[in-house]
Amino acid sequence: MKIFSSQYVFSYPWDTVTIANWQKYPNERCPHVQSVDVLRREVKDGVLRTERLISVKQNVPGWLITLIGGSNLSYVREVSEVDIANKSLTLRSTNLTFNSLLSVYETVKYTPAIEVGEDDKIKEATLFEQEAQISANAAFLRLKNKIEDWSVERFTQNAVSGKAGFESVLRKFTN
Amino acid sequence: MSASFAEECTELKKKYDGCFNNWYSEKFLKGLSMENECADEWSEYEACFKNALRQKGLMPMLEDAREDAPFEDGGRLKGDK
Repeated sequence: MKIFSSQYVFSYPWDTVTIANWQKYPNERCPHVQSVDVLRREVKDGVLRTERLISVKQNVPGWLITLIGGSNLSYVREVSEVDIANKSLTLRSTNLTFNSLLSVYETVKYTPAIEVGEDDKIKEATLFEQEAQISANAAFLRLKNKIEDWSVERFTQNAVSGKAGFESVLRKFTN
Repeated sequence: MSASFAEECTELKKKYDGCFNNWYSEKFLKGLSMENECADEWSEYEACFKNALRQKGLMPMLEDAREDAPFEDGGRLKGDK
């Protein structure tokens, strides 16, 4: 198993970040995200819980595409919780497709933070924390490692474009 | 707003999203409503995607995932803290 993790501070208040979270896609930096659907949504004890289905089209290398049966469209299921009293937004997701070969379990958390602006004033911001557990199932260790390395690399690239994409979406909410 | 995985549901989805986004920012975040509104938009959209999930054969893998990481538990994988 490989662990991917990252942290980042968005210079926007937590409320704004959570509003933008629902409108993150489509954005030009994340063309791999094809669709987002809400499958279930409930409010219970001040927590808004949402189940979403996200479809993703990745560029998959030739050696891997034969292993996954020729399709590069995959589905991800995500369950998120907005806890308004504790001001946290947590998203947990797993891959639905190709999971006999590869399983990815990702947790993302957004919580309020503060940062000092260029004018030395304290500003509301949001801490983003991401962790993904990636494990491949393959009969040969070499292949298992190769799949995991490819996934981590993909994850790293998508995390960078995801961040940039989200920044561009957030900018629209302040104008 | 993003498309639905099922093309025929995209319009209904966008209608629902519009209603939800408004409720979320204007009511839920302000503590004015703890009730998930937009029932009319939801039921139309839901009927559409439920049908499409079956047609596209996505239900079995979705059900597996729901078992492994229940909605009620916020999508935590069983066995994970």
